[in-house]
Amino acid sequence: MRNGRTHLTRRGALALTGGAAAAGMLGAGARAATPATLQLSWLHSVQFAGSYIAQARGYWAEDGLDVTLAPGGPNAPVEPPVVSGRALVGVSAADYTAAAVAQGAPFRIIGVAMQKNPFAVASLPENPVERPQDLPGKRIGMALANMPVLEALCTLNGVDIDRIEIVPTQYSAAPLLAGEVDCLLCWATDLPVAMAVQGVESVTMLMADHGYALQSQTYIATDESLRTRRAELVGLMRGETRGWAAYRADLDAAVATTLEMHPDANLDPRAQRMQAERQVPLMFSELTEARGFGWFSAATVEETIETLAVLGHDVSPDLWDRSILEEVHAG
Amino acid sequence: MSAAEAAAAPARRALPGAPLAGVAGLLVVWEALARLPGAEVLLAGPMAVALWLGENGALMARALAVTGAEAAAGFALGNLAAVALALCAVAWPRAERLIAALALLVFCLPLVATGPILRVLYGPGPGPQVTLAALAVYYTTFVPLLVGLRAAPAAWFDVVASYGRGRWAEILHVRLFAAAPYLVAGLQIAAPAAFLGAMVGEFTGAERGMGVLTIRALRALDVEATWALATVAALVSIAVYAAIGAAGRRLLREPPPVLLAPPGAGGGARPGAALGQAALAGGVALALWWGAMEAFGLNAFFAKRPGDVWAFLVTDPGAAAHRAELFGALADTLALAVPGYLAGLAAGAALAVALTLAPGAAAVAMPVAVALRAVPIVTTAPLVVLLMGRGAAGTIALVAVMIFFPVFVAALHGLARAPGQVLDVFESYAAGPLRRLVHAQLPAMLPAFFAAARMSLPAAILAVTVVEWLATGRGVGALMAISASLSDYAMLWSAVVVVALATVAGHALVAAAEARVLARYAGEQRR
Repeated sequence: MRNGRTHLTRRGALALTGGAAAAGMLGAGARAATPATLQLSWLHSVQFAGSYIAQARGYWAEDGLDVTLAPGGPNAPVEPPVVSGRALVGVSAADYTAAAVAQGAPFRIIGVAMQKNPFAVASLPENPVERPQDLPGKRIGMALANMPVLEALCTLNGVDIDRIEIVPTQYSAAPLLAGEVDCLLCWATDLPVAMAVQGVESVTMLMADHGYALQSQTYIATDESLRTRRAELVGLMRGETRGWAAYRADLDAAVATTLEMHPDANLDPRAQRMQAERQVPLMFSELTEARGFGWFSAATVEETIETLAVLGHDVSPDLWDRSILEEVHAG
Repeated sequence: MSAAEAAAAPARRALPGAPLAGVAGLLVVWEALARLPGAEVLLAGPMAVALWLGENGALMARALAVTGAEAAAGFALGNLAAVALALCAVAWPRAERLIAALALLVFCLPLVATGPILRVLYGPGPGPQVTLAALAVYYTTFVPLLVGLRAAPAAWFDVVASYGRGRWAEILHVRLFAAAPYLVAGLQIAAPAAFLGAMVGEFTGAERGMGVLTIRALRALDVEATWALATVAALVSIAVYAAIGAAGRRLLREPPPVLLAPPGAGGGARPGAALGQAALAGGVALALWWGAMEAFGLNAFFAKRPGDVWAFLVTDPGAAAHRAELFGALADTLALAVPGYLAGLAAGAALAVALTLAPGAAAVAMPVAVALRAVPIVTTAPLVVLLMGRGAAGTIALVAVMIFFPVFVAALHGLARAPGQVLDVFESYAAGPLRRLVHAQLPAMLPAFFAAARMSLPAAILAVTVVEWLATGRGVGALMAISASLSDYAMLWSAVVVVALATVAGHALVAAAEARVLARYAGEQRR
């Protein structure tokens, strides 16, 4: 059934491609491609492979868009370029978006790439953390910036956070391997992969499996763009949808495209392949199977709002705007 | 004579193989450290690094070309700005204090906070990298240059005056020549700083470069790549340091002149006037801050104006809580910055003095000193913190390393500024090296030492905030990083203001100590 659906989507996409290409050709004389920037949340890697595919295969060009993919980094702003209009769309996360909105940013979430939150607790098999209840008595290495995440996990699972020893560390698996800590708060798709590539098996407890329901890699745009640049938003999200469908259909090709487009990034093919695989269950769910990539329902929004409340962010469903996705998946 | 010459000259007198022995010793110690049990996740030895570089030479060459170009552009722009500012300050002495105060204030802006703001301003491209590299170097060139522009004997000015020529002739024919050795010292200190600035600039979202590769390598547990990157960064910095020193030696063959007036001390201003000056500088800074944001039309979501910061810290209902959070973090930071700073000052001056007394050791000490500073703090921070613990010791040691190098270079350079005629007097009385040190060389060192002490203060804050941000997650460095990620830009800008003001206040303390000490030693120099 999965394959059937993918096939259907791809065929739909093909039909759509033809239409868009024809439309593009008709309009080509009249207008040049419209520039638009997609602000990524981190350095280039297979984490954004769907976008690279959209770029490399010309999905955006077919919609008359000339998309620039702006990389993020440890000290890179994501929300400000979107507010200032330098980027049309930013890749944020529900908690960062909520914080920015509380500070007056006029954002809407227009799509959700990661249906399940990638935050996890990674540990070594000889001293594993398999459930939140295993955390008391352990030393956890984490960036202090992620304290609200750990607090939320503890609140959701009735764990006494005071019984966990928090060691502020850099974002790296080194403190775990050096025996400085018993576990790490990290993404399931990066530090555990880094350890696996180095030949170290680890135990990963995905926080999303323990009540931490928070949409991640959310696409954000401003109210103004939603009013005045709708066609570009639809085109950009359509390219994303097609790119991620292609990713889903062929992970090897997605990894290859990622490596080809970033020869200077020192990306390890094995690590990228592993990361690509571990992303799949986070990004594709029954909901996206049924409704399409990036989709969110009243129920998934409500879950995220509840987790956000535990994190101390008070938001309403108005933060989400599904009109762009509806247009993308209708057409 | 330049600082490098001061170190290199005695080395030439020592065994011819001594520099090689120094480098070889360094490599052996490094390899041994890397082979310690448990070190394999943190430190790669020279053999592993060489192997990695052999396999990934092309990748590294491309990254070096990118980051090297950014650092070079920042180096050139920052130093040109320093020269222009220093010349303006000398040409218009009335504006000197204002220029110096604004230059200091800008240098005190923490790059953890300025990086993302520059990225928003420039958009994609090398803009933030070049700007951060320039910001990292201009002040450490400006300060010694200002000292140097004044370090000319009064008789030279009399000559210019006797020809009826004005201030510009004075600058062109006297001051620039007097300043050249100081400029060389400034440029040498700038080389590793520019490289670090460019690498940290790449953290704000760059397509490629050595900073980008460093982040990846750290996260991927790629220890060989991490240390290969650090090694290349260090080698480039050392090469530039040596090249500038060599150029300085070729160009500057004049022995240092006898100075009959203390350089850099300036007339003791009345306290009232000093306050007026400070108020003027503050006013101009606020006007520039507000004006630049309005001129660029920066969105108030992230570009907070002076009024926003005032409201956040003073008039808001939550202002007391904001202040408590900010000042609490600042106190944590200062508790590490101050001991690290003092330790760095002491170590830098002590090593310079030791090398003056035992010149043969320079061959071993110089490469170690340059390498310590040139290895990017971004790479060393996790290692040092792991070795020394996440408590205070690790952070203090890292700050000391950052401070130590500029102070060491400046002190070495200052010790070499003891005039030949004065040393001849000691020679003719058969005074020992210790007497010569205490009575001639140390007084000659003091102006340069204090200049280094003043300009190292922002470097101490930079080091602490970077370590807090990347490794320990405490203090005002972490607070700034968290505020940026949570879009709490009012807190971020407030932190920038408070950190900059704290640094300026520290600078004023050091300057006050400097004025007292130089006033006392000026009498000796007039003898």
